[in-house]
Amino acid sequence: MDRRKALKNVAFLLGTALSSSTIGVLFENFTLPEDEKNQVSFSGTDEEILAEFADIIIPTTKLSPGAKAAGVGTFIPMMIRDCYPPAMQHTFASGLKEMESKAMQDYNKNFLSLADDQKQKLVGDLRKDTIDKKLPYSFFTIARDLTLLGYFSSEIGCTQAREYLPIPGKYDGNAEYKPGQKAWAT
Amino acid sequence: MNINTNLKEQNTYDAIVIGSGISGGWAAKELTEKGLNVLMLERGMNVEHIKDYDSAMKAPWEFEHAGKLTEEQKRTHPVQTRDYPYQEANEKWWVNDLDCPYTEDKRFDWYRGFHVGGKSLTWGRQSYRFSDHNFEDNKKDGHGNDWPIRYKDLTKWYDYVEQFAGISGQAENWPLLPDGKFLPPMDLNCVEKSVKERIEKHYNKSRILTIGRTANLTVPHKGRGSCQYRNLCSRGCPFGAYFSTQSSTLPAAMATKRLTVRPYSIVNHIIYDKDTKKAKGVMVIDAKTNESIEFYAKIVFVNGSTLGSTFILLNSTSDAHPNGLGNASGQLGHNLMDHHFRCGASGSAVGFEDKYTYGRRANGIYVPRYQNVGNDKRDYLRGFGYQGGASRGSWHEEVAELEFGGDFKDKLSFPADTWSMGLGGFGEMLPYYENKVYIDHTRKDKWGQSVLAIDCEYKENEKKMRIDMMNDAAEMLEASGIKNVKTFDNECYPGMAIHEMGTARMGNDPKESVLNKWNQMHEVSNVFVTDGSCMPSIACQNPSLTFMALTARAADYAVKELKKGNI
Repeated sequence: MDRRKALKNVAFLLGTALSSSTIGVLFENFTLPEDEKNQVSFSGTDEEILAEFADIIIPTTKLSPGAKAAGVGTFIPMMIRDCYPPAMQHTFASGLKEMESKAMQDYNKNFLSLADDQKQKLVGDLRKDTIDKKLPYSFFTIARDLTLLGYFSSEIGCTQAREYLPIPGKYDGNAEYKPGQKAWAT
Repeated sequence: MNINTNLKEQNTYDAIVIGSGISGGWAAKELTEKGLNVLMLERGMNVEHIKDYDSAMKAPWEFEHAGKLTEEQKRTHPVQTRDYPYQEANEKWWVNDLDCPYTEDKRFDWYRGFHVGGKSLTWGRQSYRFSDHNFEDNKKDGHGNDWPIRYKDLTKWYDYVEQFAGISGQAENWPLLPDGKFLPPMDLNCVEKSVKERIEKHYNKSRILTIGRTANLTVPHKGRGSCQYRNLCSRGCPFGAYFSTQSSTLPAAMATKRLTVRPYSIVNHIIYDKDTKKAKGVMVIDAKTNESIEFYAKIVFVNGSTLGSTFILLNSTSDAHPNGLGNASGQLGHNLMDHHFRCGASGSAVGFEDKYTYGRRANGIYVPRYQNVGNDKRDYLRGFGYQGGASRGSWHEEVAELEFGGDFKDKLSFPADTWSMGLGGFGEMLPYYENKVYIDHTRKDKWGQSVLAIDCEYKENEKKMRIDMMNDAAEMLEASGIKNVKTFDNECYPGMAIHEMGTARMGNDPKESVLNKWNQMHEVSNVFVTDGSCMPSIACQNPSLTFMALTARAADYAVKELKKGNI
């Protein structure tokens, strides 16, 4: 019933530039036959790869630590297992494998051994592929969405990338914005 | 049937209140304070104020799924997940839909919470009086039946409930939105102030914009703390800063030592005594043990939410009341209404780059109804109001599609240069006899009860109004200097506003209505219904404040009648 909050949540997602189709997929109800409910699983190496991927999306900068430091590498597979319907789980899992194959194909190395610029190039190719093919969702969009969600709701994201006020105690709708002031986390 | 006499005595009270939400809490408070021993029956779990608000003080990173729902939650809550209210942070306030199914002849989103406090814990807190326009509209245009009361009948009761509940707001002297006994208003932010000034100037004060009137305290009030501007209300407030059963009416009722609260008590039906022609009590199914138990009282207040109460009444059949208790009129279950919303317009405000907000205001702006009054004529009946507000978000228009990397991340660490400003309409729905609920005996809930079937839809009047809800909003925003104004209609189904009302309406004529002007059943004098089901029309304002006022008024009348020996 808290409508403004709901709007704000949507704004948050828009704010992080999710494509609208991704948002729809993330929140839609999926009713799936029982036999589609077998879940995917992820290895320790997968989590390392996802942490590296997340750190390409949200790297450490002068301003704040990146997604890997914020624990997004384990957040992503947990969210995939708990919060995504099987079809998207499988898209995600096979996309993760394809990213590994692409690393081998392009550089003859596994993803974790790539140099930073190689990782960036590879992730950029995945982005381009999603846009070119107008995919409603892909490994890239799901992993990117979850990186942004996980990072900006993490303690590092809330308190270092942004500023978190647990109990403001008052409302000032005409406060001065000081140059360089971070955005509120919530 | 042999009934153990001692047990019967133990299970006898002066009054039974069915339900513990906004109106049930008020009934319990008023009846106990007037000296009655009251049993309050709640179908769900107990919730203790503050102690049981598990998530209230959690930081964003303390939620496992960053606020998102799991596949398992989506599976067990297929209705509650249709819209935003059910969230990770407040998941325990919403029903498992698989336990309590209902039949949708047409789509109807039924949001429910089974626990002490009911929706008083999760409500939007917007609190507006109805005006005489609202009480007279049915009579004037012939839709629905005439309200048996007018504003003057409710004025002192609005005063009374506002002063206890604590409603913050700004007096505006607007005929369609009477002023109340307000605590100091919350502030408009700089963009909202600018929009207010420009709208009021452009329309020469034939339209106004005011801060939302909300049941959030702006100053400490009756032992409760003031709002801390966290905007986390639906988790339960550890400061008691918004009105809920737990923060407000329940402590008052408990202080009399005349209140017994019984959680896990599903009222299956009201027991009718054909000799006295009154209700003698209720039959309860214990939600945990499935045991059936009877409780008895001189008065029964039915406050189980509009559709919950209507189910109980329809399910209370006897030779004298074959179609449901007090349903000789045939109106019980009919005239279901809900507000229609989710359409309006939004845009961006520039020129406020040097301003930001401090604190999170759990409130927005309000534009009260201005249509179909005076010289304003529309091609539909009744009208709508707007809720909305402005905020400076972190939305950066210049971010490329699916961008990533360090610059992108740093950009998201700062607020956007532009503010966004939106207006969302809340429209009145007319009462239509054919929008109805009835009992579907082919299906059963977890406790073996038949289920409710709902057959309700918006019609032409609502559809026409929605066009204006978008276009008027866009016009006003443009007149206010807002840029990139876009209209939206995100589609609305009855139930989504969670303002369902009307299925046991009040009226002067027993042939046309279920309740009289005191919310008392025409046919069963010791049964009172004071939740949303009593409403002959719904105006376009948020209705809970009116339920509170009607409940306090009905309780006052009921106790007087009881003392006179008339009940």
